[in-house]
Amino acid sequence: MGTINQLSLQEAVALIQDGDCLAFSGFTIWRRPTAMCYEILRQGKKNLHLFEVQGGFHSEVLVGGGAVRLWEGSWMGQEILGKTGVNLSRKQVSGEVIVDDLSHGHAVARAMAGAVNVPFFPTALAMGTDILNPEYDGFAKAGLRDGKNPKIPKEKYVVYKDPFYDMGEMLLMPSIKPNWGLIYAPMVGNEGTVRVLAQSYNDQDIFKACDKVIVITEEIVPDEYLRRDPAANIATGYEVDYVVVCPWAAHPTGSQFYYDTDADFLRSFNASTKTQDGFDKFAEEWIYGVKDHWEYLEKLGVKRLETLRASQATGYSSRVKRGTR
Amino acid sequence: MTASNEYAKVGEFKPMDLLAAAAAREVIDGDVVFAGTGLPMLAIALAQNEHAPNAACIYEAGSIDGRPIDLPTSVGDARCAYQAAKCGGLFETFYGQLHAGYVTLGFLGGAEIDKYGSLNTTYVGTHASPKQRFTGSGGNADILSFAQRTVLIMVQEKRRFSERLEYVTSPGWMVRNWPKNEYVPKKQVYGKYSYGGPTACITDMAIFRFDENGIMYLDTVHPGFSAEDVRNNVDFDLDISKCKGETRPPTYKQLEILYKVVDPEGIFLP
Repeated sequence: MGTINQLSLQEAVALIQDGDCLAFSGFTIWRRPTAMCYEILRQGKKNLHLFEVQGGFHSEVLVGGGAVRLWEGSWMGQEILGKTGVNLSRKQVSGEVIVDDLSHGHAVARAMAGAVNVPFFPTALAMGTDILNPEYDGFAKAGLRDGKNPKIPKEKYVVYKDPFYDMGEMLLMPSIKPNWGLIYAPMVGNEGTVRVLAQSYNDQDIFKACDKVIVITEEIVPDEYLRRDPAANIATGYEVDYVVVCPWAAHPTGSQFYYDTDADFLRSFNASTKTQDGFDKFAEEWIYGVKDHWEYLEKLGVKRLETLRASQATGYSSRVKRGTR
Repeated sequence: MTASNEYAKVGEFKPMDLLAAAAAREVIDGDVVFAGTGLPMLAIALAQNEHAPNAACIYEAGSIDGRPIDLPTSVGDARCAYQAAKCGGLFETFYGQLHAGYVTLGFLGGAEIDKYGSLNTTYVGTHASPKQRFTGSGGNADILSFAQRTVLIMVQEKRRFSERLEYVTSPGWMVRNWPKNEYVPKKQVYGKYSYGGPTACITDMAIFRFDENGIMYLDTVHPGFSAEDVRNNVDFDLDISKCKGETRPPTYKQLEILYKVVDPEGIFLP
């Protein structure tokens, strides 16, 4: 029998140190550990290094709130709800955040290498692009590839020639092993088994690549229930270090079969946080101005939350008005 | 469906309807399509409901050959995964599908494009002093590098059809062989992984294709525009000599499918 190490949201986030490298579960506007990111801002963490296969609302919040110094990833935005990540855009232009761009394929390769504990992963994706232009290597230009930071590889990539089957030149992408994996999952078993209810994104790789993993979940369920269908689980209890229970912890991002993405919230966030002043107002209203996550939920209100609640038949809400008809 | 296969007349369709129909016509029955949010979703769903019932759609977040009954608004949406053949994650889609060579058709957009079909979705300005950041690559660079055919969806503006991109996010038919920094045909960099590249570009004014040297030329202009209009909205020297005339409008049947089956909620077709 396994056990879980359950902490409060505040206790879990307090473990994260200034300067740590973080990676997250989810995909753009789905299954992001949003409640943990709000708490990171409340606790005033600084100089964080985010490794993201792709970013979204959760990391726009961390960037906008001044907690991030280094950002590497392939993409930042809210999909059609606000195409560009306006906070990262503002802080890359101002120089407050050092950005290093990857392609999705490169970032996935790096996470997979970290997950299986090999120092690099070969890929032929996205060659011949400025992602590989040494002049655009953000971390090298900032002098960060000197080998002193164990979370930053000494080279962004290496070109190598296949010695086995003469497939020609391709890239070796270095592994990444962040300090913390912050994972949102709708269900965790009482022995720590983790279930997601749709696309698994990169969650399994992030679990294994990170030194320590905090899972924030809607509910703890009997492990016996999850073990009836082992193929649907994405992590075993011994891959999880800490568990936090927090309902609606991914809001305004969505969690399939629990709730839909809150499109109005995300659209409004993207439109109103183009300026720092706009972000500060958002943060005062939704992050610093509420005493905890329960007060945040009360502020959202029953009607909004019930509208977002997913159908158990399809996994998404049938009550959300999405278009003009 | 009761509507006919006759072409709708100007005034009976909106610009977006024409783009969706044009993009859908790029889908061949049996294609394995790697698509993103928005117009590509309309195009693949229209094609599947019309001439390409055996086309399968991969969304990069992990759903493979889903059968959505409601139009997704995100590639990570639960709607994409409905009735999917399988559902994994990004390692499956980018390596198990794309790198493995299964993907025959991609749909992509960008902020800037050059005459070889390279795209910029990252930023404008210089690295030392960027003026504005966009989204970054996401899967854009990967899909354009490995899909056999890619259809690029762009807004027709002179500043977007650039002689030289401020940042090459995704590789067209001519690329730089980093870290050597020589400008060479894509094949020279990709070698045995040369599966294809950009084959068409659809804008709000015209459709472009690429010649044997990988250079973009004007193929058709949408109703209401001339080849000169298009040339005036391109920053590089554009070949208009092969222009075949007007882009075919959507048919009444396509309009019916788009509004009654694909997007009845009015998400992308208000």
